Amino acid sequence: MDVIGFVLKLLQGGLGNLAAYLAAHVLLCLVPAFFIAGAMTALIPKESVTRFLGRNAPKVVSYPAAALAGSVLSVCSCTIVPLFAGIYRKGAGLGPAITFLFFAPAANILALVYTGGLIGADLAFARLFLSLLFGIGIGMIMALIFRRSEQARDGNGDAMFAGKATLKKASLAFLLILVALLLSGTLKIGLLTNSYGKITLPISGLDRFQAFLSRVVPADAAKGQEGVSVQGAILIGLLILIAAAAWRGLGKISEGFNRWTWASLGLVVMTLLVAAAGMTAHPGGLDILFTGKMFGVVLSVVLLAFIARKRLTPDEVRDFLWESWRFIKQIFPLLVVGVFAVGIIRELIRPEWIEALAGRNTLLGNMAGVLFGVFMYFPTLVEVPIAKMFLSLGMHRGPLLAYLMADPELSLQSILMISAIIGKTKAWVYVFWVALFSTLAGLIYGAFKDGASVLRITLYLAAFLALLAAGLWRMSRRANEHQGGIR
Amino acid sequence: MKIIVLGPGCPRCHEVEKRTINALAELGIAAEVEKISDIQRIMEYDILGTPGLVIDGKVVCSGKIPRLEEIKAWILEAAG
Repeated sequence: MDVIGFVLKLLQGGLGNLAAYLAAHVLLCLVPAFFIAGAMTALIPKESVTRFLGRNAPKVVSYPAAALAGSVLSVCSCTIVPLFAGIYRKGAGLGPAITFLFFAPAANILALVYTGGLIGADLAFARLFLSLLFGIGIGMIMALIFRRSEQARDGNGDAMFAGKATLKKASLAFLLILVALLLSGTLKIGLLTNSYGKITLPISGLDRFQAFLSRVVPADAAKGQEGVSVQGAILIGLLILIAAAAWRGLGKISEGFNRWTWASLGLVVMTLLVAAAGMTAHPGGLDILFTGKMFGVVLSVVLLAFIARKRLTPDEVRDFLWESWRFIKQIFPLLVVGVFAVGIIRELIRPEWIEALAGRNTLLGNMAGVLFGVFMYFPTLVEVPIAKMFLSLGMHRGPLLAYLMADPELSLQSILMISAIIGKTKAWVYVFWVALFSTLAGLIYGAFKDGASVLRITLYLAAFLALLAAGLWRMSRRANEHQGGIR
Repeated sequence: MKIIVLGPGCPRCHEVEKRTINALAELGIAAEVEKISDIQRIMEYDILGTPGLVIDGKVVCSGKIPRLEEIKAWILEAAG
């Protein structure tokens, strides 16, 4: 057996996948998303959301506020754990805390944008909507099941939730324009994708370069592998330059702006522009098409610069850049390693296996998706390229959603962490509900994708919820009788 | 003086620890700086988000990274 040839083939698979990934337009959504996450952390005061999570907040307010906190405040795991423990022990209680815990990894801005950009907007919306619904649902169920032990929590934390800070108007505008930047790069509407002009750079030999790239990173539609274009190669080059400049420019931003800061910001804008443009290489040179996206990028960047200069304090701008860079530094290497690994794994998995197991929207297929999510632990966001791989290998979108719902919620690590805070029993009951609801989410979404009518899905869902409510009601009655018997 | 940095070990918490040590050095004040990363012990303090900064038993800041000048002011205040 040719072992060396086999290993080389695996490595080529990994590197090819990585190159195709970095070169693809996924950058156009990921780069703004990192800056949005940074802006959220730096510019949104925690108190503007947490003050709705105090002990005395009514349920109608605290559950949605918990979900909001999940998607806005917790892009970083070092925020999730203390906030979860705080809401549980000293604030609104177990229900909202669980809602927060469930919603945070599935629906923070990075996860949603990334899912939308890499796999499809439909799946991102399904992830957002079903996580919201089930997050609140599971929170309420947990609160109901454990309402007796709820009363024993320690109190006197009201001061923690009394903050009055609100979001500044300028910060809000800044965030909205960042979102606009993101949308102008990712929305596929004619206004943005049409080109409004063309110049040709007379660089010869680029067509041979393209031929070389196609040979090194062959596209294989059957396995979902993408090739690398000249444009992609330029983007990879720019990324390496950004990494070099940002290390000094953004990493040391707390000591003030320096030359490297401006260099790295310039490079980031450059990258966005190159990614937004249309490029084709031919023997005569390189055609550059000015797309609507490019104008969107330019307009948003100018507006952002204006707000940062006139309306935000220098401290806020520094915090914003520091936090954004921190996200990039923390998450991007994980993604690079993850995508490389996915490229290798893809060489080893045969599409027939995936198709046989989860090619159709069956109960078994959805359960397989959830189980895989529980037993495999992937760092933040790496679940998305993995899901993309499954999709290209023939997984149905239903089981795929089941996997995407379960994986970030239920890893062994997170189960251990929450059981340290709420106790083993509650943690395992939570795990059970998440597994059940993830399977259900996959089934519903899969049925929807297979063309089942919305009415029928709603009927099934209503029947299931009625059954659930009846079960919980009986259980709580039995618990009451049991208690009565002891007295 | 005893200063405690609360944080499970994320980059933001390291940044606070670094800035605290810099602040002490610039002020020329000696203090014991402890880093607590056990979540159970962190939750004994009334904070909703890490990193948290505790000076002489009092939580002065939580959920954000304070500026160097702010830390200096708190230290001077605690030093009297």
